[in-house]
Amino acid sequence: MSTTINKKNLQSPRYRAPAAIGGRRNPAIGQRRKNFQALGFLVPALLILGAFTAWPMISALRLSFTDASGFGKEEWVGFENYARIFTDPVILNAVANTALYALLFTPTAVALALVLALLLNDPRLPFRGFFRTALFLPFIISLAVAAIAWTYLIDPQVGLLNYWLSSAGIRLGNVLQDPILAMPAVAFVAVWKSFGFYMVIFLAGLQEIPGSLYEAARVDGAGAWTRFRHVTMPMLSNTTAFVLIFALIAALQAFDQIYVMTGGGPYGHTETVVMQIYSAGFRKLDVGFASALSYVLLAATLLLSVIQFVFFGKREREGE
Amino acid sequence: MSTTFPPQTLNSAARARTTKRPDRRSVLNKALVVTLLAIATAVILLPIAIIAFTAFKPATEVNAFPPTLIPAQWTLDNFARIFQELPFLRLIANSFIFAGGVTLFALLFDSLAAYALARIDFTGKRFLLIAIIASLMIPFQATLVPVYQLASDLGWVNTFAALIVPRAADAFGIFFLRQFFLSLPRDLDNAARIDGASEWRVYWNIILPNAMPAILTLGVFVFVNNWNDLLWPLIFTTDKDMGTLTSGLTLLTGPGGIVPYGVMMAGALVAILPLMAVFMFVQRRFIESVATTGLK
Amino acid sequence: MKKSLTIFAAIAAATLSLAACSGAGAGSENKGSKAELTFWHGYTEADGKVLNKIVDDFNASQNEVSIKVQINPWSVIDDTLLPALSSGKGPDIVAMPAERLPVYADKGAFVELDDFYRDPTSNLDKLAPAAVEMETVNGHKYGVPSGFVPLAMFYNKTLFAQAGITTPPATWDEWIATAKKLTVDADNDGIPEQFGLGLPDHATVANGVWPSLFYGNGGDIVKDGKAVVDSPENARTLKTWVDAVRNDKISPTGLDGIAGDKLFSSGKAAMYLGGPWMSSIAQESKIDFGIAAVPAGPKAQAASAIGISMAVTQQKDDSKAAAARKFFSYFMQKEQATAWSLGSGWPPLRTDIPAGAVASNPVVEALTKQAEFGRPLLPGVVNSTDVLTAVDKLTQRAVAGENIKDLLSETQASVQKVLDTK
Repeated sequence: MSTTINKKNLQSPRYRAPAAIGGRRNPAIGQRRKNFQALGFLVPALLILGAFTAWPMISALRLSFTDASGFGKEEWVGFENYARIFTDPVILNAVANTALYALLFTPTAVALALVLALLLNDPRLPFRGFFRTALFLPFIISLAVAAIAWTYLIDPQVGLLNYWLSSAGIRLGNVLQDPILAMPAVAFVAVWKSFGFYMVIFLAGLQEIPGSLYEAARVDGAGAWTRFRHVTMPMLSNTTAFVLIFALIAALQAFDQIYVMTGGGPYGHTETVVMQIYSAGFRKLDVGFASALSYVLLAATLLLSVIQFVFFGKREREGE
Repeated sequence: MSTTFPPQTLNSAARARTTKRPDRRSVLNKALVVTLLAIATAVILLPIAIIAFTAFKPATEVNAFPPTLIPAQWTLDNFARIFQELPFLRLIANSFIFAGGVTLFALLFDSLAAYALARIDFTGKRFLLIAIIASLMIPFQATLVPVYQLASDLGWVNTFAALIVPRAADAFGIFFLRQFFLSLPRDLDNAARIDGASEWRVYWNIILPNAMPAILTLGVFVFVNNWNDLLWPLIFTTDKDMGTLTSGLTLLTGPGGIVPYGVMMAGALVAILPLMAVFMFVQRRFIESVATTGLK
Repeated sequence: MKKSLTIFAAIAAATLSLAACSGAGAGSENKGSKAELTFWHGYTEADGKVLNKIVDDFNASQNEVSIKVQINPWSVIDDTLLPALSSGKGPDIVAMPAERLPVYADKGAFVELDDFYRDPTSNLDKLAPAAVEMETVNGHKYGVPSGFVPLAMFYNKTLFAQAGITTPPATWDEWIATAKKLTVDADNDGIPEQFGLGLPDHATVANGVWPSLFYGNGGDIVKDGKAVVDSPENARTLKTWVDAVRNDKISPTGLDGIAGDKLFSSGKAAMYLGGPWMSSIAQESKIDFGIAAVPAGPKAQAASAIGISMAVTQQKDDSKAAAARKFFSYFMQKEQATAWSLGSGWPPLRTDIPAGAVASNPVVEALTKQAEFGRPLLPGVVNSTDVLTAVDKLTQRAVAGENIKDLLSETQASVQKVLDTK
């Protein structure tokens, strides 16, 4: 959200000489005081996240080295679960599918959200309020319900959208059973459901860009594209990085609508990593393997996020 | 919560002033943009329309060919089934307590944590921030069993505590608010600090009121996600009276576990309507305030 | 602004105390000498009411055991059972689709019931052997069937009459010929408006459609713990049906079980293999239907059965397991078994209840006559999930036109790998 990183850096105490706040104080005592103050603010969240996120994560990490079923006996198996992940063709297929899904979903959802936010940011646009509300509406519908509605619309026998398109001479066919089209279809439903939320975040980010920057650009004779490229994009890079990371995390955990629409089919073409985690844990009671797979997903997500951060961090510095 | 935001910002007003006479090209451009947006909106709203209309279709019409959007014969049968078979008021009350409770706590605790991460330079801040983001990267399916065991050991199964407390703070919210707080100018709170305000005062009197757009955005996000959540209430509440509207609707199965589309859509519509109401209630504040106040 | 924030904080505090209160009040009371059991099942329709009445009658019939019922759809039971078991707070008795039983039994979730089956008072000696087979895992019995019914063929009498057909087909040759006759492509666009048969190629009804066809030609999927998918019998079965679907277009491709149900209930398919609930779906959609056995294949007349099993979960004290056995004995008495059959719409589990005894429900009577053709689906196969996925891939890709021989050897390898992985 923050586009004011330069300002922030300048104002952050880290960039300020300690003397400026209170040079006579012992810096160690000041730091202890700050830590104590911070703790007061952090305690409720830390307690809850510690108990219901961190501890379960540690517990899952331990389970990933066992053959646990979730109940009954469990035995230590070392890295066996991890080894299985990298040799099982079903899992590797799911990994490839998840990557494809992320490639389809993330740029599409983020770009669509950005374009619509740019259009809707114009205060002189007619029906602006209506468009904003309407475009946000899909977000309040659960992904499972959205999946059911879309499945019904494109049903090859009685689907309304299918019928309309075929009246117009376009044969959609049985999209969800098509090995090539099934994945774009399930990714599309997720884009439909989530772009509205990303759009709102972009709208907020756009509002933080000082109008004076555009004025200055205009005075310099910059056209619409130049203003977008040299004012909007750099000033929005923090927001974009934020949206991209969370869209990527969401993409790598794709499950709900795929479970409803294709169940992973046709023959494994929409099987994702989280579907495998679910199947291993809740269907095959192989909680150890499910935990190991979850940690591999975590590691992959972390790696991709770091790459994104580095990339956008660079852009940010260029923008300064 | 009402007086802090001017309806329009200086910058957008300033921008509006710069283009004085709309020339023909820009009018054409605008018409094109509006047309494109209208088409996009129609496509985007089509599934919502199909949900709304199918809810009023009799079973014989749902799978009829050729398909139609609007029912030839309107019926309330699908809704009658929902209201007859489910303890409806109870479920809706539960949904509000669950989603509302999570939202209130999450906003409070997330904003507190976000304040520390945005405004106080404490030891280990960077590490904590990375840990918080990393915790989002593990799918919840992986931690569900340990979370359940903990809630069960605490004796919380079938209580609101099990539904609400594990979600009373969340990593996304903390990170989201932290980003927003960072963008608030430091001059605001430094002035208060010079006047002797404590960090608590700065948080409560300066940061929170000024971050209302972000708080509302996050509030809608958390509320919607929890309202729509299916597996969570199903797992933590085996008692039928403790279920939420979303989880309760799963009990409406048809023969062979297959729910008739009409009933399913009626259920979906019934579940969306309270969300719509909440959304409409906050929407002026929410999208409009996020979009128009900006932060100067 | 400040005021509203204070209100916000007050509401938050109120909700927290509410949550805490309900947490305190929910402790389970101590129950003296009476054994109190919980029973999860997924009979959500009229069948559930009948089952609950049997439980109520059982509770009233004695004063040592009291059973409390918790109803959820089968898929929800499958999702919630693992966390519940993991914390020791699971149900005492749980019903589930029979092919889901082996994995739980293998992981040690259920009480072994071999003694109970030997006990003459258990009323289990008259059960159909095929139904008992689906309760057997690693040589031991872990469950009691609450339902066992082979897939049946439902046919649309109106469409049959329009085509001048009076009797349902009894053999595969007749079946395919009838299906061709009932496939209508009036506008000749290559896509029939009416199909002779709804033949799902994946996620079929109770996963049983293709196993039924394999049995008909003497084939199978798993036998004695070995994969036997890749057989000349199965190759011929696949070729026969894939040809009929692809060349003669007797069925749409890419159909799954739910879409198949819809196809039949919307009157667009003349014949369909379905479970007992198909009769209520068809009635609701005002389809005039008849029920016949799955037509006999060249080698056998057989159909994959849909089974439901009830099992006793591992609890700390044995008294609950004993109490659960008491309920099973009661449930399996002739009177209750008959009432359950009529109420659930499934054929009686006991072989000594003839079709005539359930004639008051014609659907049950028709299904009871076919009960002998039923074969359990993958009995004792622990990882049935992956085996069924492999079979789904096989049939779906075969119907999509891939080389059957290659597909079979590929499926054989992956099924065998699944069986070998412990």
